Amino acid sequence: MKCPLEIREGTEILLAYSSGDLDGERSARLAPHVENCPACREFVTGQRAVWEALDEWEALPVSVDFDRRLYRRIAEQVSWWETVARPLRSALVRRGLPIAAAAALTITAGLLLDRPSAVPVAARHESAQVELQPDQVERALDQMETLRQFTHLLHTDSPDSQM
Amino acid sequence: MDERVKTGMGGAVAALDLDAELMLRVKEGDGASFGVLLNKHRASVVHFLYRMVQNHAVAEELAQEVFLRVYRSRGTYEPTAKFTTWLFRIATHLALNSLRDGRNEKSQERLDDDSGDLPARQVSDNRPTIEARMVYQVRLEEVRKAIATLPEKQRAAVLMHKYEEMEYSQIARVLNCSESAIKSLLFRAYETLRARLAHMA
Repeated sequence: MKCPLEIREGTEILLAYSSGDLDGERSARLAPHVENCPACREFVTGQRAVWEALDEWEALPVSVDFDRRLYRRIAEQVSWWETVARPLRSALVRRGLPIAAAAALTITAGLLLDRPSAVPVAARHESAQVELQPDQVERALDQMETLRQFTHLLHTDSPDSQM
Repeated sequence: MDERVKTGMGGAVAALDLDAELMLRVKEGDGASFGVLLNKHRASVVHFLYRMVQNHAVAEELAQEVFLRVYRSRGTYEPTAKFTTWLFRIATHLALNSLRDGRNEKSQERLDDDSGDLPARQVSDNRPTIEARMVYQVRLEEVRKAIATLPEKQRAAVLMHKYEEMEYSQIARVLNCSESAIKSLLFRAYETLRARLAHMA
């Protein structure tokens, strides 16, 4: 018999043999080999020790109030969500498309109308300050002086003023 | 065995996986079927999580989350695999997240408190001597440490293989790996455990 450790599925076969999961016929054929093969014997002995050690590790019993706590969480979390979601879901099923369309239109309109106000106030204030340049002020004062002189000439040339 | 179950084939579902049929009843609003599933799988889920995170309180908290998710998902449940594959996929996902988040780091410090709570049978009928208890504690601690040092996926695979007696194919589905990947994962894990625990024979 070929040593299981030399074939591809050997480890799988030896694991099954160690745990007693190998069928009777295959187990009976393998037993004499394991007895005489030091490598296989070491594998099987070691693996049986692992099974036994793991068997000793018993988990603690589940708390007696486990179910009560779970059902309370279900009542709190699931029921709350269903209370909120059920009317919405049924409304969507009955009037899904019109509601969705109306919602989409409302959101789009809101976004479009809201766009100008989206510009920060500070930015608009800053742009007004930038427009008042010194040469512009000087030019405006010159134009006001010219206008004042023109008005004065008009008054002196009028017939009323000659009287 | 082919795990795949077709929706709407009540008889086929029952033949292949009674749990899947119970879950389909839960989907239809039968709360009692959820109770049956909870009764059937509560202990195995809590124990699996306990051995994964090695803390009883954290394990129970995670198990609560597992069953809560099962209940929440009832509306969209489709029996495309064995119920336990789905259940342990949720449990493994939560356990791995918990280990990665280090949520149970503080709890790990209380390992000694947990290990003091021996299962009831250890202290009831045949009261063990103090020496026997101490020997048991030492051996248990070795086992727990050996499992804890395994990489997370190897740990999950060993626990499902040893304690839940799952086939390689089912473990592969739970961990979303190929069957050959699971075999090699398990063989490496057992190799590590043999090196650490063989002397306990």
